[in-house]
Amino acid sequence: MKIMNYLLIPAVVLLLFNGTALAHKVNLFAYAEAGKVYTESYFPDGRPVEGGKVLVYDSQDNLLLEGVTDKEGLFSFPVPKVDDLTIVIEATMGHKNSFKLKKADVEAGK
Amino acid sequence: MRTVNSILSALVVTAVLLAANPSLAHFGTITPSDDIVTQNDPKTLNLQIKFIHPMELHYMEMVKPKQFGVVHDDKKTDLLNSLQATKGKSPDQNEKFTFWTTDYKIRRPGDYTFYVEPTPYWEPAEDLFIVHYTKVCVNALGLEKGWDQPVGLETEIVPMTRPYGLWTGNLFTGQVLLKGKPVPFAEVEIEYLNESPENISVVIPPADPYVTQVVKADANGVFSYAMPRAGWWGFSALSEAEWKLKYDGKEKGVEIGAVYWVHTRDMK
Repeated sequence: MKIMNYLLIPAVVLLLFNGTALAHKVNLFAYAEAGKVYTESYFPDGRPVEGGKVLVYDSQDNLLLEGVTDKEGLFSFPVPKVDDLTIVIEATMGHKNSFKLKKADVEAGK
Repeated sequence: MRTVNSILSALVVTAVLLAANPSLAHFGTITPSDDIVTQNDPKTLNLQIKFIHPMELHYMEMVKPKQFGVVHDDKKTDLLNSLQATKGKSPDQNEKFTFWTTDYKIRRPGDYTFYVEPTPYWEPAEDLFIVHYTKVCVNALGLEKGWDQPVGLETEIVPMTRPYGLWTGNLFTGQVLLKGKPVPFAEVEIEYLNESPENISVVIPPADPYVTQVVKADANGVFSYAMPRAGWWGFSALSEAEWKLKYDGKEKGVEIGAVYWVHTRDMK
C-alpha cells in the first residue's frame, strides 16, 4: 500500500504540471515590419531557443509555413497572408508556446 | 492641582500628537494598471504617480516631477513630457490634490522599470524637503530580464526578490543603495496601499505602529518583509542628502527616499 502511494504521488504531480514545464518555459514574440514577420524565441532568463521548430497558421488553422530558429532564437519570413496569424514555437522536450499576431499588426507591417 | 493636571495631560496629548504626526509616512508612488503583461493582456499600461500616505489614503499636492522614465533592455527612455496632471483625494479629504498619469505602450518582451524623481516637496512639519526616488517593475511577454539592475538614481532600492508574480505572504528582499553603494542598517518603512484596486475593504489600523511597518537592513543594506495582504506594497528607505535646498532664504535639509512598489495576489 505504501509503495502504491509513493508511485501515485509522482504520477499525480507529473499530470498536474504536464505541459507547463515551468523552469524552461519557452516564449515566442513576433512583429511585422517592412513586409516581413520577425520572430524571437527565448527562455524566461533571455537565453535563445536554438533549433526550435516554428509553425505559422492562419485564422482557419491552415499551416502556412514552418521553419527553424537560429543561434539567436530568430526566424523570419515574408508576410504570408494578411490575417490573424498564430505562430507556434516547438522546442525540444515538448516545450511549446504560441503567439498571436493580429491581422492589424500584420497589415501595418506589410 | 486638578487644573495643573488637566493642563499637563493636555500638553502630553499634544506632545504625543505632534510626535505621532511625522510618523505618517509620506510615499512616492508609481502604480501601473498591470504588473505582468501577457500575450492576451492590453499592451497599453496606465501609470499613476502620486505623493501620498498609502495606508491613510491621503493625497498631497504633487508638482510635475523632475524626471520620469523607463528602463528596458538596459536602455533609458525619458517619458517626462507624456505626463498629464489630474486630481484626486481620499474620501475624508475635502480638497483634491494634483497627481500625474500617463499611458505607455509595451512593444517588446522584457522587464520595464519605471522610475520617477519628484521635484523637492517642502514639508513644514518636518522643516525639510522630501525627494522620493520611486520605482516599479512591469514584466512583459515572458522575458524576465532586467528587474535586478539598478537604474542609477541617487538612492534606490534594488530588488533581490523578483518583483512580480508575488503571492500574498511572500517575502520581499531588497538592497538599499545610496550613490550606488549599500546603506548599512538602513531603516525601511513599509506601507500597504489601501486604495489598491483589489483591496476588498479598507484596512483600519488598530494603532499607529500598524500604519507603517519598519524593518532594518543588515550590514549590506539588505532587508526583507513578508506582505500579508493582496495589493500594492511600498518600501521606502530614507537618507539625508549631502546637499541642501533653500526655503525662505534659509538652507534646509533634504530627505531622499528610495521607494519601490510591488504587487501581491492571493493564492486561489
